[in-house]
Amino acid sequence: MTVIFLLTITFIAIGLFEVPALVKNKHWRELTVFSVFFVLAFVLALLQASDVKIPSPVRGLEYFFGEILKLSY
Amino acid sequence: MRLERGIISSSQLMFLVAGYVQGSVMVVGYTNMVTKQNTWLVVLSGLAASIPLVLVYVALANKFPGKDLIQINRIVYGPYLSKLVSASYIWFFCSIAGFMLSYVGQIIKNYLMPETPKFIICIVFAFICAWAVRNGIEVLARTSVIFVMIIIFVILITFVLLLKDMELTNFLPFFDLSLKDFIQGTHIMMTLPFCQIMIFLMLIPYVNKGVEAKKSVILGLIIGGGSILADTVRNTAVLGITSTIMGSPSIESVRLIDLAEIITRLEMLVITLLLIAMFIKVTVMYYGTIIGIARLFNLRSYRPLVLPIGSIIVSLSILSFDYLNQNTDFGVKIAPFFTIMFEFSPVITLLVAKIRKLPE
Repeated sequence: MTVIFLLTITFIAIGLFEVPALVKNKHWRELTVFSVFFVLAFVLALLQASDVKIPSPVRGLEYFFGEILKLSY
Repeated sequence: MRLERGIISSSQLMFLVAGYVQGSVMVVGYTNMVTKQNTWLVVLSGLAASIPLVLVYVALANKFPGKDLIQINRIVYGPYLSKLVSASYIWFFCSIAGFMLSYVGQIIKNYLMPETPKFIICIVFAFICAWAVRNGIEVLARTSVIFVMIIIFVILITFVLLLKDMELTNFLPFFDLSLKDFIQGTHIMMTLPFCQIMIFLMLIPYVNKGVEAKKSVILGLIIGGGSILADTVRNTAVLGITSTIMGSPSIESVRLIDLAEIITRLEMLVITLLLIAMFIKVTVMYYGTIIGIARLFNLRSYRPLVLPIGSIIVSLSILSFDYLNQNTDFGVKIAPFFTIMFEFSPVITLLVAKIRKLPE
């Protein structure tokens, strides 16, 4: 629980650090892209902090290259 | 429109390339598993094989002056297909940064701080990289000059201090290498340390004299390759065939330095080398990812993206590998094919540009 709390605090800090300047300068396009990646990063970190097993991308690469393309030493 | 206001000189580009290649000094230690005592041979052949590809990258950059890889893709492949190609490049940069960060975490956890969780090390390291990226390319280029000097100094001093432990018979038998192992070793050496400098296609627009970029990239590649060669020769000469079973041959060989029981435990020097070389490598990859995303979405500034992408890279580094052996296994078997796909595609881009007679 402590980890999730600390994580939330960190992400709120990141948001407070970046968003006011973007809103003040009316950089709406930047704000949209920032929000998409911010939410993605937060969800990834939250899932890891709450011990959800996320499949490793390396497994996917190994399956794709080793089993489908048969390119492996 | 320029995303980055900073400008670097061509000599700074040389040091940046050298530092980037030196970032793999410790990572390529696992090639010993494949080529045993002949690793020095595959370092040389990998360097020779990567120079034509690097010349292609420079030719591509000279054909489209002032444009980075994402803009070149857009010109060559058109507005829709280019989005897909660029997105896969960005995924490649991001994942390599994650894997390298994971390697730093594993080595520090294995050799220095066994009780510390890996994610703490990764977060602290990534924070420094994020700080460097936020400050722009000039800061990174200026620090790389000092860092490359330190790395060369560390490699030379450990080489000299280990001279009395070296046995040249460890290199025998010469050329006792099957063709398959030779090709595999050359492939690993070509893709992992040398041809990854494809990322500099994202940075070459910020060099003040684009024409001289060719000389500095090749020189930087040779400086980095020389460092890797010196490191490999030292490890094989000191450790011999035992280096094939070690997680990090560099640390294990430098551990043996013992000068009248006063100068001992110098593996800290190697860890310093790992940290500063990896700093350059991870930061350049991170920077390439950020600039790529900002370019793909036509943003006016890349700075807001630094922290979210950094967080994604840290998550990626934590969930990709649990143990050092997984990292090694991936690096020996799959990673050469994964990276060659992206490192070879600028050749296709250049060919398509030649056929379509671009730029008009």
